Amino acid sequence: MLTSEDKREFVIGSFVQLLIILHWLMAFFYAPVDVNQGPVYRIMFLHVPSAITAFGSSLGLCVFSVLALRDRSERLMAWSKGTAEVGLIFTLLTLATGSIWGRPTWGTWWTWDARLTTTFLLALLYAGYLLLYGSMAPGTGRTRVCAVLGILIFADVPVIYKSVTWWRTLHQPPSMIREGGSTMDPEILWTLVAGILVMCIYAAWLVRVRGRNIMLADEIESASYATLSAP
Amino acid sequence: MKATAGNQYLTLVRQGLRAEFVDKERLISPVLFALTMLVLFAFALGDLDQSLRIRIYLAETLLTAIFALQISFSRLFEPDRQDRVFDLLRTYPISYTALFLAKYTLVLILGSATLVPTMLFGAFLHQSATIQLFSWTVLGISLLALAGLGALGVLLSALTLKAQARQILYPLLYFPMTTPVLLAAVQSARLCLEVGLGSPELKSWLGLLAAFDTIYITLGVLLFTELMVES
Repeated sequence: MLTSEDKREFVIGSFVQLLIILHWLMAFFYAPVDVNQGPVYRIMFLHVPSAITAFGSSLGLCVFSVLALRDRSERLMAWSKGTAEVGLIFTLLTLATGSIWGRPTWGTWWTWDARLTTTFLLALLYAGYLLLYGSMAPGTGRTRVCAVLGILIFADVPVIYKSVTWWRTLHQPPSMIREGGSTMDPEILWTLVAGILVMCIYAAWLVRVRGRNIMLADEIESASYATLSAP
Repeated sequence: MKATAGNQYLTLVRQGLRAEFVDKERLISPVLFALTMLVLFAFALGDLDQSLRIRIYLAETLLTAIFALQISFSRLFEPDRQDRVFDLLRTYPISYTALFLAKYTLVLILGSATLVPTMLFGAFLHQSATIQLFSWTVLGISLLALAGLGALGVLLSALTLKAQARQILYPLLYFPMTTPVLLAAVQSARLCLEVGLGSPELKSWLGLLAAFDTIYITLGVLLFTELMVES
């Protein structure tokens, strides 16, 4: 039977899905075709928001980790794990869409470009975090260890973000936020900004749902231990 | 003797060094591993073009040093774990900052014992009549890289102490996090050898290296205590 909380989640989830559909309509029908790249550039509306959400997830992971360390809270730890999972999914999505976009524009699926390599490293760090979390028994020990790692992961994100500026690589430098204003067409810019907002809302919703699921799974695990150890 | 943090630090460094020197295999194996790797690289790469010699030398020796240092770092708490020293230490009213700094000092001493022969042997293998590969400045840059890697190594060693599959998790977390330090060290050392100390780019690369050293040492000092407190 559906509880009122389940119904609320369903309504919020449907609203988020609706926002995604609206953004896709904007990406396909509102934004004009790029003169140089043609329609293939539209993958940017998925690629850039995914990348920003992936980096934003590391900030979320850091914030939840600091709070979990301060409050010794298992609940915040569940949110941290949820954020790492969402971060990993969006990092993989960034790599996949970047690779698909790179094929027609750079002529290759993958190149050892600084931004690509450092983003791949971020995926490895998220995966490492999830492996470490899974390899430890639940409790305050795990909370502390995983929280410390969450903070360490965030320390590496500025390098990934600045890599295109520092190494002047194949990947294009930032064209949205730059000195002298954006070089983008206003319609493209607005579609991109909308995409970033929608993706961030989507990620926040995923973290919320996933955090709740992890807490429920922990409760079930604790209850099963209690049942097994009962006389 | 009064048990100040300074005295505790000195005692822990002495104890750590004694434990390392008792088992000389632990001390020698990273150096032997590094030298073997360099010989294998030299065989695999064969006779190098003059223009590539500096880049290959730096990439090869610094990467080999990082692999070899990982062996030292991952086993940092092994003597303490084997003799239950670690559990005993945690029952004493010692300063965990003193413990971190003692382990960090130990890592710097053992790391230098691996790094210096690696750099010298790498330069020897790739020497030519026209290019001077060994430079004190490059050695200084490598030691600066060791300062950051050492702090990260101690922190990750403590972090994975209680994790299952520690041998797999340690490199999975360590290698992605070394990337900023490795890149900054390679680029600044390359500029030193190819352009000289007057290179305008050198300052920014050294700045990045120093920034990551500071980040890892600060996070190490701040977060190590959290990892040591018994659940």
